[in-house]
Amino acid sequence: MIKWLRNSAALLVVAGAYVWAVIVIGSHRVKESPPGMITLRIGHWQLESGVRDAFNELAAEYQKLHPNVRVVQDAIPESTYGQWVTTQLMGGTAPDLMQVGLGLPGPVWLGYFKRYFVPLSSVANQPNPYNAGTELEGVPLRQTYRDGLRAAYVPEIQEYMSLSLAQFGVRLMYNRDLLQKLTGRAEAPTELREFLAVCAQIKAHGLAPIAASKYHFWMWQGKVFDVLTYPALRQGDFNRDGSMGNDEVYAAFQAGLLSMQYPPYRASFQLMREITDHFQTGYTGLTRDEAVFLFAQQRAVFLATGTWDFRSLETQAKGVFEVGITDFPRPAATDPVYGEFVEGPAYEAAQFVGFPFGVTRTSRHPDVAVDFLLFLASQKQNERLNRIIGWIPAINGAAMDPALAKFEPQLEGVYGAMPLQLGGETSIKWMQLMSLYQINQISYDELARQYEPFYKERGLLDFQEARRDWRRALANNEQFLAGIRAAALLADAARTPGAWLKYRTLTLQWQLLPEIAQARQLRLVEEGPAGGAVAPYEYTAAVVEKIRHEVNR
Amino acid sequence: MIRLLPLLVMLSLVGSAGAGETNLVAQGWAAYRLGEFDRATRFFESAGPTDAAAVYGLATTWAWRRPKEDRGRAEQLYHEVIRLAPASEWAAWSWLGLARLQHVVPVGQEPNYPKVRAAYQAVIDRFPRHPASTEAFLQQQATLVAALNPNEARTALAAMEKFLAEQPQSPYVSAVYSLQAECFQTLGEPAAQLAASLRAWETTEVDPENPRSDAAGTYWKLATLAEFEAGDFATARKFYGKLIAEYPKDQRKFPAKQALARMAELESRLRAEGAPR
Repeated sequence: MIKWLRNSAALLVVAGAYVWAVIVIGSHRVKESPPGMITLRIGHWQLESGVRDAFNELAAEYQKLHPNVRVVQDAIPESTYGQWVTTQLMGGTAPDLMQVGLGLPGPVWLGYFKRYFVPLSSVANQPNPYNAGTELEGVPLRQTYRDGLRAAYVPEIQEYMSLSLAQFGVRLMYNRDLLQKLTGRAEAPTELREFLAVCAQIKAHGLAPIAASKYHFWMWQGKVFDVLTYPALRQGDFNRDGSMGNDEVYAAFQAGLLSMQYPPYRASFQLMREITDHFQTGYTGLTRDEAVFLFAQQRAVFLATGTWDFRSLETQAKGVFEVGITDFPRPAATDPVYGEFVEGPAYEAAQFVGFPFGVTRTSRHPDVAVDFLLFLASQKQNERLNRIIGWIPAINGAAMDPALAKFEPQLEGVYGAMPLQLGGETSIKWMQLMSLYQINQISYDELARQYEPFYKERGLLDFQEARRDWRRALANNEQFLAGIRAAALLADAARTPGAWLKYRTLTLQWQLLPEIAQARQLRLVEEGPAGGAVAPYEYTAAVVEKIRHEVNR
Repeated sequence: MIRLLPLLVMLSLVGSAGAGETNLVAQGWAAYRLGEFDRATRFFESAGPTDAAAVYGLATTWAWRRPKEDRGRAEQLYHEVIRLAPASEWAAWSWLGLARLQHVVPVGQEPNYPKVRAAYQAVIDRFPRHPASTEAFLQQQATLVAALNPNEARTALAAMEKFLAEQPQSPYVSAVYSLQAECFQTLGEPAAQLAASLRAWETTEVDPENPRSDAAGTYWKLATLAEFEAGDFATARKFYGKLIAEYPKDQRKFPAKQALARMAELESRLRAEGAPR
């Protein structure tokens, strides 16, 4: 016996440790999740402390109403989120609620939505019970959203597949103390000339006026540079849908209605040069974190930022310097260089809604998961959630943190009209030349000299490739519509009208009219606009005469 | 009792055969919609080679699955449905399926339009007033309209006028008016184009579940068509106004306000210049 014990001692120690571990873990689990307790897992990529704190607080609040439900978070880094999502979904171990949209190509997410997520259309069309007692009581959920829940609707599935919980905005953040010390101003100017003068003052002190990176460039481009190109819309929006497609720009170039010398295009690039001259040297090679670091170290005064970064930047600055938020600088209508192209403020889409969560099919308690999501999407709780995180609520009437008031979107204004890339070779060429322009290695005239002939010649091939893509899409649409048609054919009598309505509207929108639009587009590119050089938003002589006759009648 | 067991099992299977097949077809379509085409094929095949609904599902799967589509097999199976149940719902949609195979051709090929139109005509002739036939009619006319040729546009207009006279209650009238508007654009008749576009808007069906089917884009198109093509400033003002009032968050709100100012400015200038002598 002693001999046996001696020989088996190691094994017994391991076995004992195993039994102890099982008992400890088991008792811990029972304590944490006693019988009858429902544990909801929520997976997301928001590692900011505010998000996790907010979920914990809202989960505790939810537990007051539903004592048998506890919420556990899986916070996964952005860099591995795509792989994590894939393994969890395919392995059948996905959390009940999952933040969607990051780390994988769109078509992959589309496939995952179909296979692994619960459609939320029925929820979207019902009132949110957690809005009881508010002005949103009885209002269908989708109408309680600032964007009408458009962002959550997946046209390829014809279902709402997620519910978003926040809205985002982009503004210019500045170091108020440093600005005052270097320029004597407490507030940042929003008029371009004043802003450039302030930047020159800051530069004279040996500091970078604006911290930027390749990540931040798009914010400046979208909010400041592109908007000067808006007048081009009147030259090239041939299908008159109110926005400029890259095919339309190409047709306008071919027809001689637009060129790289078009004054608003030149002005946009001149403004880009004037402002990026105040970015720190080498910004095109830097990442987001490097620009943030420069700002946090007080080696730059301004930093473009989104609401998603605002709170953590504010926290970093706390006790060190005071942070201010302002709109991006823009030229005044009286500006001697850009004034004639300034038609209004920059439009910001209200649809910039995000932080979306879907309910997975493997959830053992999908009804509870949906209920918790509705709780988070209710007016009161969405306000609370976003107040803790420092983001803008996604729900109508949910008040935002006063510190974020300057992020409120500008819903009336102008927008860019210069999509010059047609994909393929033209996009590569454009990116190469843009990189050189950004680092001041070539002038705008040189960029135009190299790009325009290439764009006009090579663009036709890229345009034709885009048409081939359209043909591929036509077959995919056919595939999808056959599924909708079958659903209509097999649906019970009560559901049939809705199913057929969906089928008819989609057939018209996706298959019937686009073929004609494609034919007109092709003719436009090959033959130029009908009627010579009359732009789409120009009056013809016949219309002018008709109006003349009417007003003088 | 044990001896009776196989018989009882067989009887129970026979009794539930119809329901089971329907179920298999439904499961096949569910798999199809998830993009799981192999599984869809297995369900449809399990329902049996004489079930027209299942064979139709199988044909459609082979026609539109990507990758591994087999258009020849699809065509053969559509003909099989027509042979199995020539007067059925499934036959009507199979005829349309055959036409769609002619029309939606692989990348790199162009449809043979005379053949495509003949294939649509085959549906129209065999199943008049059936939804498959109406869709075939619209697709047929769309091929004429897409030619952007005045002769074809006039042919299509005449056919659509007849359709509207015969089937004014069809749920597809809005689509017909939309196609007519395209014809008038080709013919350079802006007043008629605007009138047809307005009728299309008045009769349009809206999917209330689709948040993207808002009318902002339609209002913008009607307004700009009225302003720049038809010179009908009253209609233009009406639709710019509707866009501003009903879609205050739409990006076209600012351009709509600019348009209202632009029209007023033109009228004012022309008034000042006086009538032409």
